Amino acid sequence: MPEIRLKNLTKRFGKTIAVDNLDLVIQEGEFVTLLGPSGCGKTTTLRMIAGLETPSEGEIYIDETCVFSSEEGIDISPDKRNVGFLFQNYALWPHMTVYKNISFGLENLKWDKKKIKIRVEELLNMLRIAEYGDRYPSELSGGQQQRVAIARTLATGPKILFMDEPLSNLDAKLRMEMRTELKRLHMETDSTFVYVTHDQLEAMTLSTKICLLDEGLLQQFAPPLDIYHNPSNHFVADFVGSPNINILEARGNNVNLDEIKLDSGSLEFLFAPTTSSVNIRSNQKLLLGIRPEDIEITDKGDIQGKVYSTLPSGMETIVKIDVNNIILTCVVFGGVDFEMGTNVKIAFKSENNVLFDRVSKLNIASGRLM
Amino acid sequence: MKAFLKKPQNVILLSLAFILVYLTVVPMITIILDTFTVHQSELMRVKGSKVGDLTLYHWGKVLFSSSSKKIFYEPFLNTLIVSLGTCFVAIGLGGLVAWLVTRTNIRFKGIISTLFIFPYIMPSWTLAMAWLNFFKNSRVGGAPGIFTALFGIETADWFAYGPFPIIVVLGLHYAPFAYILIGGILRNMDANLEEAALILKASRGKIMRKITIPIVLPAILSTFLLVFSSAMSAFAVPAFLGTSVRYQVLTTQMFRTLNGLNPGYGYIMALLMIGIGILILGVNQKIIGTRKSFTTITGKSSNIAYINLRNFKIPISVALIVFIGMVCILPLVTFAIESFIMEPGNYSWSNFTTLFWVGEGNPQIANGEPGILRNPTIFNGLWNSIRLSISVAFIAGSVGILAGYAIVKKKGTRLSTMVNNLAFFPYLMPSMAFGAIYLSMFAIKRGFIPSLYGSFALLVLVGAVKYLPFASRASVGAMHQLSNEIEEAGTIQGIGWTKRMLRIIIPIQKSSFISGYLLPFISSMRELSLFILLVTPSTRILTTMLFQYNEKGWSQYANAINLLIVLFVVGSSLIVNRVTGASIDKGIGGH
Repeated sequence: MPEIRLKNLTKRFGKTIAVDNLDLVIQEGEFVTLLGPSGCGKTTTLRMIAGLETPSEGEIYIDETCVFSSEEGIDISPDKRNVGFLFQNYALWPHMTVYKNISFGLENLKWDKKKIKIRVEELLNMLRIAEYGDRYPSELSGGQQQRVAIARTLATGPKILFMDEPLSNLDAKLRMEMRTELKRLHMETDSTFVYVTHDQLEAMTLSTKICLLDEGLLQQFAPPLDIYHNPSNHFVADFVGSPNINILEARGNNVNLDEIKLDSGSLEFLFAPTTSSVNIRSNQKLLLGIRPEDIEITDKGDIQGKVYSTLPSGMETIVKIDVNNIILTCVVFGGVDFEMGTNVKIAFKSENNVLFDRVSKLNIASGRLM
Repeated sequence: MKAFLKKPQNVILLSLAFILVYLTVVPMITIILDTFTVHQSELMRVKGSKVGDLTLYHWGKVLFSSSSKKIFYEPFLNTLIVSLGTCFVAIGLGGLVAWLVTRTNIRFKGIISTLFIFPYIMPSWTLAMAWLNFFKNSRVGGAPGIFTALFGIETADWFAYGPFPIIVVLGLHYAPFAYILIGGILRNMDANLEEAALILKASRGKIMRKITIPIVLPAILSTFLLVFSSAMSAFAVPAFLGTSVRYQVLTTQMFRTLNGLNPGYGYIMALLMIGIGILILGVNQKIIGTRKSFTTITGKSSNIAYINLRNFKIPISVALIVFIGMVCILPLVTFAIESFIMEPGNYSWSNFTTLFWVGEGNPQIANGEPGILRNPTIFNGLWNSIRLSISVAFIAGSVGILAGYAIVKKKGTRLSTMVNNLAFFPYLMPSMAFGAIYLSMFAIKRGFIPSLYGSFALLVLVGAVKYLPFASRASVGAMHQLSNEIEEAGTIQGIGWTKRMLRIIIPIQKSSFISGYLLPFISSMRELSLFILLVTPSTRILTTMLFQYNEKGWSQYANAINLLIVLFVVGSSLIVNRVTGASIDKGIGGH
C-alpha cells in the first residue's frame, strides 16, 4: 500500500520554479532520501508533503487520503496530517526544559499526566539523555540537542517521519554515530522515513531508495546501488560517489556488430555494452564514465600512465594518474602508497562503465572497456 | 605601558574614559552637590546661612514638606501613569504591526514598514500639535479645532487635554520603536520553532501563548523598559497637551523650577529620574542574561511560511494603511491648513491667507512678524538648526565609530565595559536635566574651558554627548558582526591603523556607521527639551522658536515651522536611506 503519493507537484516562488512537476510514490516502511545540491527543491518538497509550504500545483496523498489538491482546493493543515518533522536546526523551544519540549506534543493529544511521564522517560532513556530532563536547550551540546529533537518527534509515535538535514549541524564523528542510530530507529519504529540531505554518502548509506533532484526536476528514483551503478544521466553519475566518477569526452562509432569504438583524442577504447546493443550516429559526441574503483593499477595493464598524486588514508589510497595529459582518479584498497612521478600501468576491470550522450547527457549503455 | 599605548584601541578607550567621565560623571556629581547647597535665592528661607553652605533644605522641601505633594509626588505619579500608558499603546500597536508584517501575508508590507517609522522620525510634539489642531475645544484653548469645525461637536476636556491625549500621542510616537525592536526579534526568531509546535498538533492560539510570546517576551520587556524611560523623559508632548489643564509631569515641573523658582528642586527631580533610568537599565540587563532567554540556535530561518489571513487579508491591510495614513500624513495636512488661516478656528475659504508664509508683517497681527519665508529670524533659526545637527552628528557619529571599534576590540576588559557603560549613560539622563546640568556646569570658566554660556559650542557639546549612545550602539553592533580576522589580514600586510579603518573597516560596515550619524542628526534636528534651557536669542534654533511661538499663541507660525521641520527631517532621512542604505532602525538595534 503506497504511503505517500505525489502527483504533478509544482512549487513556484515568484518566477523561479523550486519543484517542477514531481511524481513520486513512497511505500510504507521505506527510508527515502531526497538528495540533491543546495537549491534543488528537496527541502521545499519535504515541507510541502508535511503541509508547511503550500504547493502551486499538484496533489499529495498520505495513506490514500488526499491532503492537498490544487484543483479541488484541498489543503489539510500540518497538524492533521499525522506526521513527525525533525528540523535541521532542531527547533527546540529555548524557554522549555528538555522534559517540557518532549511532553508538549503529548499534552496536545490530551494524554494524562502519568502516561506522559512514562512515555517521556522511556524516550529519555532510549536516546540516552535521561540526566538532562531538567536542562534548557541552551545548556546542551549539539549532539544532545539533536537527541532531544528526535525524542520530541518520536514522542507521539508518528507513522511517517520527515527529517530535514538533521545531521548537518553535527561534527563528523557524531554524524557517523547518529547515522547508525537513525538506521536502527527506522527498523525499531517501523515507520516511513523521508529524509532530506545534500550529502550523497548519507543518502547512499541510509536509504532504501534515493530520490535525486536537480533544479526542481526529478533525476532518478531508485535504490542506492542502482543509482550508483546505473545512473540515469551524467548529473546523477557525477553527484553520487566519492571520489567522483571519471568522465572522459569521446567520439564514438559503431563497430563489429554491437561494439562502440571510442576516441578521446589521446586514448582509444573499445566499448562492449552489457545492457543491450546500441546504435549511435557516426562520430556521436559521448561522455564515458569510469568509477575510480574500476581502474586497476597492475603490471598486466596495457595503458601507460604516471602517478600524478596520491592520498593514502590507511584503508584505501586515492591515486591520480596522468595518462597522456588526461587525469584519471583510481582507488586502491589497503595501505599501499605510490611514489609520485613513477610510471604505472592501468587496466579497466568492470562491466559498469557508463556511456552518456554529450548533448542530452542521458545514459546510453553500460559496458566493458577493452 | 609603552606597548599598551601603542595599540590604538587602548588610546581610544583611555581618552574616551577620561573625556566621558568629565562630561557625564562630573556633571552628575556637580548637581548632586548643588542639591545640598544654599543659593543666593534661598538665603532668606534657610535661616542663618550664607551662599555655598551645605543644607538639606531642597531635599526636605521636595520630598518631605507640606508642598511636596504639589511639587513632586503629583507630577511623579502623573509621570508613572503617562509612561505606563505609553508603553501599553506603543507595544500593543508596534508589536501587532511587527507581527502582521513578519508573520502574515498582509499586503503593502513595503509601504507599511516605511510609513510606520514616520512618527518616530517626526518630532514627538508633531502629533501633539496635530491633536490640538484637530481636537482642541474652545473651553480651554481659545479657538476650536478642525473636528469641532467640521462636525459641530465640542470635544470633551479629558479627550482634548491631559493624560489621555498625552498617552495616545506618546504611544503613537514610540510605537515604531517597539515595532523595530520586536520586529527584529520576530524576523530573527526561527519560524521552525512555531512549525514544530504546529506539527505536534498545537492550535494557533496555543502556539501564540506557549511558543511565540514566551520567546519574544524578553525583547518585549526590554522594549517596555526603553519606551518607559523615553516616555518618562518626554517634555514637549506633556507641555503641549497638559499645561493648559495644569497637568504636570516631572519634566514639565522641572522646566518650571529650573527656569525660575528654584533650580535645586529641578536637580533633585533630575537625579530621581536618572536613578529610575539606571534601575531600568539594570533590570533590562538582568532579563537579557537569564538562561531561558532567546539563544540563537544556528540554522536557516528563511523558510518562513506566512500565516494566511484569508478573508481578513484585504480588510486588515486596508485598515492598517488608512490608520498609518491618519497618523503620518494627516498631521502634516493639518499643519498646512492651520498655517494658512487668518483667524484660528474659522475654516471658511475667505479666512485663508498666505500672510504667515510670505506676508510682509502686519503690525496688528503677531507684533508685525513677517511670514516665515521672508523672516530673517526664522532663516537664522533654520541655519542654526542645520549647522547644529550637522556638527552634533559629525562629532557623535565619529566618536561613536571609534568607541565601538575600541569597545569590541577589547571586549571583556574592565576598561571596555566601563567606556561602553559611560557611552550609554547619557541615554538615561532626561534631556531637560542634561541641559540643565550643562547650563550650570559650563556657565563659568572651568580649567582651560572658557565659560560657554550662550555659545553655540555649548549646544553642540550637549547634543554630541547626549546622542553618543545612538552612534556607539550602532557601531558596537556593526563591529560585532565583523570578524577580527578581516582587520588582522590587513595588519599582517603591514597596513597602518588609519588606513585599516578608512579602507577596510568603515567601508565594510558603511551603512551601519552612517546610521550612527543619521540618528544624532535627526534627533538634534527635532530636539526641544535638551536645548530649551541653553539657547539665547543669537543661538535660537527652529524647535525652540516653535515652542516660543506656540507659547505666545501664534499657532499659525508654529504650524508652519513644524511643517518645515517635519519635511526637512523626513526628507533628509529618506534621502540618506536611499543613497546609502543606512536607516534609523539599524541604529536602534533592529535589522
